[in-house]
Amino acid sequence: METLSLLAGGFAVAMTPLNIGLLLMGCFVGTLLGALPGLGPVNGVAVLIPLTFAFGFDPTSSMILLSAVYFGCMYGGRISSILLNIPGDEPAIMTTLDGYPMAVQGQAANALAISGVASFVGATIAVIGLSLFAPLLARAAIHFGPADYFALYILAFATIGGIAGVDPRKTLLSALIGLLLATVGIDPISGVPRYTFENYHLFDGIEPIVALVGLFAISEILMLLEKTVKDRTKAIPVGSWLPQWGVIWKTRWAMLRGSGVGFVAGVLPGAGASLGSFMAYVTEKQTSNKKGTFGKGDPRGVAAPESGNNAAAGGALIPMLSLGVPGSGTTAVLLAMLISLNVQPGPLLFERQPELVWGLVASLYMANIALLVLNLPMIGVFTRLMMTPTWALMPIVAAVTFVGVYGISNSVFDLEMMVFFGVLGYLLRKLDVSLVPLVLGLLLGGDMERNLRRAMSISDGDWGILIASPISITLYIMTAGFLILSVWLAVRDHKQAQAERMTEG
Amino acid sequence: MFFQRLISAKLGAAMVTATALTLTAAPATATECIAPSNPGGGWDFTCRTIGRILTELDLVDGNVQVTNMPGGVGAVTFAMVASERPADAELIVATSTVGITQIAQGRYPAPLDSMRYLAMLGADVGVIAVDDESPIQSLAELNEIMVNDPTSIVTAGSSGAGGWDHIRLLMVADAAGLENLSDLRWVQFDGGTDAVTQMMGGQIDVVSTDMGEIAGFVESGDIRILAALSDEPIPAFPDIPTAASQGIDVTGYNWRGLYTGGEVTDEEYAAWVEKLETLYNSEEWQTAATESGLVPIWRGGDEFETFVREQAQIMEDISRDIGIIQ
Amino acid sequence: MGVVIFVVAALYTWQAGDYVITFGDVLGPSVFPVIVGIPMMILSASLVVFPTGQAEWPAPQRMWRQAAALAVLVGYTILLQPLGFPLATFALIALIGIILGGAAWKATLLGALMAPALWALFDQVLGLPLDFLGTLFG
Repeated sequence: METLSLLAGGFAVAMTPLNIGLLLMGCFVGTLLGALPGLGPVNGVAVLIPLTFAFGFDPTSSMILLSAVYFGCMYGGRISSILLNIPGDEPAIMTTLDGYPMAVQGQAANALAISGVASFVGATIAVIGLSLFAPLLARAAIHFGPADYFALYILAFATIGGIAGVDPRKTLLSALIGLLLATVGIDPISGVPRYTFENYHLFDGIEPIVALVGLFAISEILMLLEKTVKDRTKAIPVGSWLPQWGVIWKTRWAMLRGSGVGFVAGVLPGAGASLGSFMAYVTEKQTSNKKGTFGKGDPRGVAAPESGNNAAAGGALIPMLSLGVPGSGTTAVLLAMLISLNVQPGPLLFERQPELVWGLVASLYMANIALLVLNLPMIGVFTRLMMTPTWALMPIVAAVTFVGVYGISNSVFDLEMMVFFGVLGYLLRKLDVSLVPLVLGLLLGGDMERNLRRAMSISDGDWGILIASPISITLYIMTAGFLILSVWLAVRDHKQAQAERMTEG
Repeated sequence: MFFQRLISAKLGAAMVTATALTLTAAPATATECIAPSNPGGGWDFTCRTIGRILTELDLVDGNVQVTNMPGGVGAVTFAMVASERPADAELIVATSTVGITQIAQGRYPAPLDSMRYLAMLGADVGVIAVDDESPIQSLAELNEIMVNDPTSIVTAGSSGAGGWDHIRLLMVADAAGLENLSDLRWVQFDGGTDAVTQMMGGQIDVVSTDMGEIAGFVESGDIRILAALSDEPIPAFPDIPTAASQGIDVTGYNWRGLYTGGEVTDEEYAAWVEKLETLYNSEEWQTAATESGLVPIWRGGDEFETFVREQAQIMEDISRDIGIIQ
Repeated sequence: MGVVIFVVAALYTWQAGDYVITFGDVLGPSVFPVIVGIPMMILSASLVVFPTGQAEWPAPQRMWRQAAALAVLVGYTILLQPLGFPLATFALIALIGIILGGAAWKATLLGALMAPALWALFDQVLGLPLDFLGTLFG
């Protein structure tokens, strides 16, 4: 029961007044950010990263704050989904399907309560899974050589193809753009400056945080400018404050199934919360939709994706912490933060900084409890915040992201890069190119290249070293299996779609 | 409206801080320490710690403002000081062996003597380590292998080829008599700990890096240190022999120090050296340095200038020998 | 866009050939960029030849608003140091607010409130130095 004592130690670390304060603040801010249309966990965490530097928190406190924001966003994302039919963030898209119809039927309180409880269940199951399985993964760590790491990155990039996106070629292209950007700067192995155009600002490479904030926040402003100014100030009838507990109890199996599916999706690198909620919803629909009530306000249609996205969010922390491979867009941001804090996530994190890992796990438990408690009474407040007009909200977002980056680096060049990435992000989004693989490529590309070159240096130029260990061979077999499975699924779906068209026609 | 309440709350906070500002207004010529990196690294530590202690000891008026100016492993800051603030005596900049290596290899936009080097205040000691199960028992045995059969072992550390970890290992190999330095294989890792765990996993044979980062593995007995590249044994590990005591006269400190602009007057320069010496001798600095794994070492003023020049020359020679620079 | 990516990938791959090192690194700094660049060229070319999806580009009038917003953002990066943080940020918030459809006086008021508040938060509370007045003011 070493894990339990470590976890107890983690609670001791997390239970300092400062950390509890940060936890509550993070939950509050996260719920707020998640609730705002278009501002999700990725932006939320990205915006707050420079702030944690600014405060000079130690890595444990920074991580606690940002994880609370992360979970808070997961909670908050559903509020606008349910009340306005506008998802607060990507994983909350599925919640609109049954949540909004429930709200229209005057069941807003029920829908909000179900999503709150489902989120809690999903997150708790994820945290339990994290405490049980992460150390197992961590123990295999020391036998990972450069060639094995390279194989792992190959697997990660192969599974990225499973991320949302219409055309897998675009997803892959996005990842390659990220890898391309990762090679900019002084090559740490040879000391050669690459793609720097003699500009000293590029010698340290492209700061992932600058790219992230530009890609997500600045491009958001450009996306918003396309839309007509909607009058979002109409009053929303929240209805009864008291949810009916019987309705919630009826969704218990949907919550558990959703949590299980979501957790597995989260653990897979590249899947993440969006896929977790999607899979949970689809699974629940297939097992339970006997009366065809899904999509018309079925409470289970809220419970499954909500538990799914939170379980995935927690599950995604496992590959991020124990392998250094993020499982979702937000964990990619958390990974960037850890690396910036000089914490090397990966197999050695558990060995090297157990207080950080278990402090984090403990704080996740506490964040779940805090969020459930904060959640219900705050509904009224958040519905009012939704009325903040875009013209006031987005300029402040722009200013905060600019000052966050500039305050750290004192570099106007970084701000110009942010605007550049904003335009790039806008263009790619318009072309249905998911930005998540790009961020992964940028974050992991450097390590991927370096491990390849390290392996080749060790073997003195013999490519055979790449398939010389059982670990790397296993990883390549998994990669091949995954690719075959996704092709098979794509073919099956294509046939089904054709069959549907036939019956409709 | 919630939003308007939010605004008024922020405004209130702004007014409170504005009031606080007028009460604690710092003089316009406040001392500034530039860390040419993002927050969190060694240079940032140097500036923040020295800045804090300078204030605590009343060696400067008011607070020392720490500014982060990352870019080009210090090149952006170096260029800025050379072109815009060469005579600003209120400005100090953190540097270290890493910065001098960059200058020696011609990676900064201005030459070494465009700055005045004030002092080194502490250093991380370089060590040569092997796995505890390695057949190599002493530096002499390693040297024999490096000289007679250099391609049979894989060496690694936290710097790239031609970086400081690599160069100080080559200095040892050179002193031992290895003719063709480029015969020795070198693998770069992102940190000393990464290199050490890869060595424990059997991927590589020898690690050359700073002691501070890997001290935990020495304490746990996972790795064996063959030699410390220092004048005196490391205080925390008195049993580890220095390279010099084994007949290889090589030191490899990764020191932490400061420079100021090249047009700062002699009086101002001397005043800084004196302040820093007072700081070095303070209990506060000795504690802070030891806690962060540094060995407090003082070299200041002209002695330090000479030291920096010599070190840059050695690095330039070795870099040329192994073909990093032409 | 596909064409642009193809051209960038081609230039990138071509440039990689220039990165040579004589010693200490078996694979060298140029192999990985080639490994990345070539599939990029293939994929972008295939997207040019066989495009999927159809991007709905905004109406010209909305594009003007986007261009205006970009001009403000770029202008901010240029004017930040000459004007100093609070003044530049005031302009940023007010102008973006107006472009997003806010009433001019409201956006101006918002900028006037938020810019000094942000300056105070960062410079005073967080200790991240931001110039109050820029180089224009000596």
